[in-house]
Amino acid sequence: MQVSISEQMEKGNRDYTNGEITVEWRPAKCVHATTCYRELIEVFNPRKRPWVNMKGASTDEIIKVVDKCPTQALRWYWNDEKKREEYEKQKVQQSRPELANEPIDEKPVKVTIMKDGPILLQGKFRIIGADGNELKTLSMTSLCRCGHSSTNPFCDGTHRRHGFRDDL
Amino acid sequence: MSAEFTIIKNGPVKITGKFVLTGSDGKHLSVEGEEVHLCRCGGSKNKPFCDGSHQSNGFKG
Repeated sequence: MQVSISEQMEKGNRDYTNGEITVEWRPAKCVHATTCYRELIEVFNPRKRPWVNMKGASTDEIIKVVDKCPTQALRWYWNDEKKREEYEKQKVQQSRPELANEPIDEKPVKVTIMKDGPILLQGKFRIIGADGNELKTLSMTSLCRCGHSSTNPFCDGTHRRHGFRDDL
Repeated sequence: MSAEFTIIKNGPVKITGKFVLTGSDGKHLSVEGEEVHLCRCGGSKNKPFCDGSHQSNGFKG
C-alpha cells in the first residue's frame, strides 16, 4: 500500500486493525457521504473515540462497507502480505474492462441525495459560486443541504450536530 | 463538462446539463438533462427540491 508523503504528513490520519485487515482513515478526503456509519454503526461511529471499532463486525462486513466509501477516505488492506498481493492483482484485473468505457465527458454527473445529509456529486462538473465565480472543477464533492455548514456551499459534516432530517 | 452547479446566493443550487439525480432512498428522481433547483437552506417542505423557504427563514450562504 503506497502512501504519498503529503498524505503521511496530513494530520488526523489513522490506521485501525483487527489483526486480519487494516483500515486506513484519511479525513482530508472525506466528503461526509455518511455511507460508513449508516451501514455499519457498530464499527464506524463518529460519536465515539476512537470512532472506528474494528471489533464491531466481521472482517467481511467491514470490507463491504469500506469498499463503498466514495472518496477512499476509508481504505483497507490485508495484513498478510501474500493475501494482499493476491487481492491487489485481482482488483487490477477486475477494474480494467471498465476503463475502456465511453469518454468521461459523455457520462452524466451522478447527483446523489444522502439521507439526512449532503448532496454528493460524482463525475466531471463545474461549481459556480454565489458571486458568479467558478469555485472548483472537481470529480467529487458534497454540497450542504442543512444550511449550517461553515464551509458553504460545501458540506462540513455539521448536519449531524443539527439533527438535519429529510422528512422534517 | 457534463453538468454545471450554480450556487444561488442565499438560495438553492441550480443544476443544469447532463446528470442523474438519485434520492436518499436510492430511487431515480429526474431524467437526464432536466434543470433542477435543490434546497441548500434545510427548510424546504419538498426536499430535496427548493420550495422558496429560504426567503422566509433568512438563509445566508
